[in-house]
Amino acid sequence: MRNPAADDVALIERMAKGHSEALSELYDRHNRLIFSVALAIVGDRATAEEITLDVFVLVWQRAGTYHPDRSKVSTWLTAITRHHAIDILRRLDSRADSKSVSWDHVQPEAKHNPYEVEESVELSLQRERIQAAISQLPAEQQEALALAFFGGYTHQQISERLNQSLGTVKTRIRLAMHKLRHLLQDVEESSINKSE
Amino acid sequence: MEVGAHIFDLLPAYALGALDEADAELVASHLASCYLCRTELGSFQAVVEVLPLAVPEASPPPALKSRLMNQMQSLRAPKPVRVQPARPPLLQRLLPIWGFASLLLIVVLTASNLLLWRQVNNREVFTGPLGMRAIALNNNVEAAPRGSGFVLISADGEEGALVVDALPELDPSLQYQVWLIRDGQSLRGPAFTVDETGYRGARIEAPESLLSYSEIAVTIEPVEGDDPSPTGEQVLGGSLHNQ
Repeated sequence: MRNPAADDVALIERMAKGHSEALSELYDRHNRLIFSVALAIVGDRATAEEITLDVFVLVWQRAGTYHPDRSKVSTWLTAITRHHAIDILRRLDSRADSKSVSWDHVQPEAKHNPYEVEESVELSLQRERIQAAISQLPAEQQEALALAFFGGYTHQQISERLNQSLGTVKTRIRLAMHKLRHLLQDVEESSINKSE
Repeated sequence: MEVGAHIFDLLPAYALGALDEADAELVASHLASCYLCRTELGSFQAVVEVLPLAVPEASPPPALKSRLMNQMQSLRAPKPVRVQPARPPLLQRLLPIWGFASLLLIVVLTASNLLLWRQVNNREVFTGPLGMRAIALNNNVEAAPRGSGFVLISADGEEGALVVDALPELDPSLQYQVWLIRDGQSLRGPAFTVDETGYRGARIEAPESLLSYSEIAVTIEPVEGDDPSPTGEQVLGGSLHNQ
């Protein structure tokens, strides 16, 4: 049985040696995830496309710095994407306003890629678990969490945007993260085990 | 914050990157010496890592892959061997550091005990018997999750050394770059790479006393880059002044 995480690591190792076909395969595997995260953060398809390109170029250039013992490749990719997308928004000074930042503002699509079809059952289950966990949070906690996660806002900035006290915002984010940690414990463990 | 107190309440927001700069610095400083809080932080970072999966799926246009692959043809492939024609070998460049750094280390080690090293780990400036200072640096938990480093500065500020540990190995096209910062202006310091353990020492020289600079930073920069100020991700940093 294929181990997608191990395959990803092998691709990164080949990229570090200069094999561009490995980048092509990595793109096929992860372009939707990268694009989805970028789009969720910037809210604009054209900008999300540029970010997706930037991320794969960065990954090509930094393939030699990847450490498989620290994170899965997909985790590494999404972390780079999130930080790059938030950086772009900060540079443009155009972070989405609080009303457009949420966990459900992009519509799901059908899958076309054979890699994604192969991995889609497991991934879909994980996705459903995480979405279900988030949906269990009170709306105000979801909102504060979305502003921090998608917008890269600090406590203080979220407090100003939501016109809530700083203490209230801190509490909402802290409670949200504690509840998600509890609800997603087995998802995280499964994610970690797959990277081993 | 009470010295030695844990910072559990700040960790969820730290994992999200939602703390303001002062609180983030406080957390980073505490984490450097607190295993319990590092473990707790790891559990929240694991949550942040899976959150992207909650984003509804969307697809880029098929033409985007062609753009990427066309772009790749114009990019140079990662070099298997690092080329630095204008510089002597790294070991040779760093060799003089060992005289100074070793002296400092010997003095500090013989004059201090475990408690003093804990003080350094807590990012307090430790001043040795001859006025030498050892300053622990903060690491960027994303770029160098286990990275650590400290700066040794002689009493008059004329000589200094940087010792780093557990920094990630870099692509051959990249290197670590030291910067000395004063009044928002950056002075380029030594560049270095690390071995498989992430360890390296480098001597720091400057036209003026090192104590006249307010901060030090270590960033990741292209080997052939010559920007006058940092452009890459910061992995280590800290204040050179007494705190």
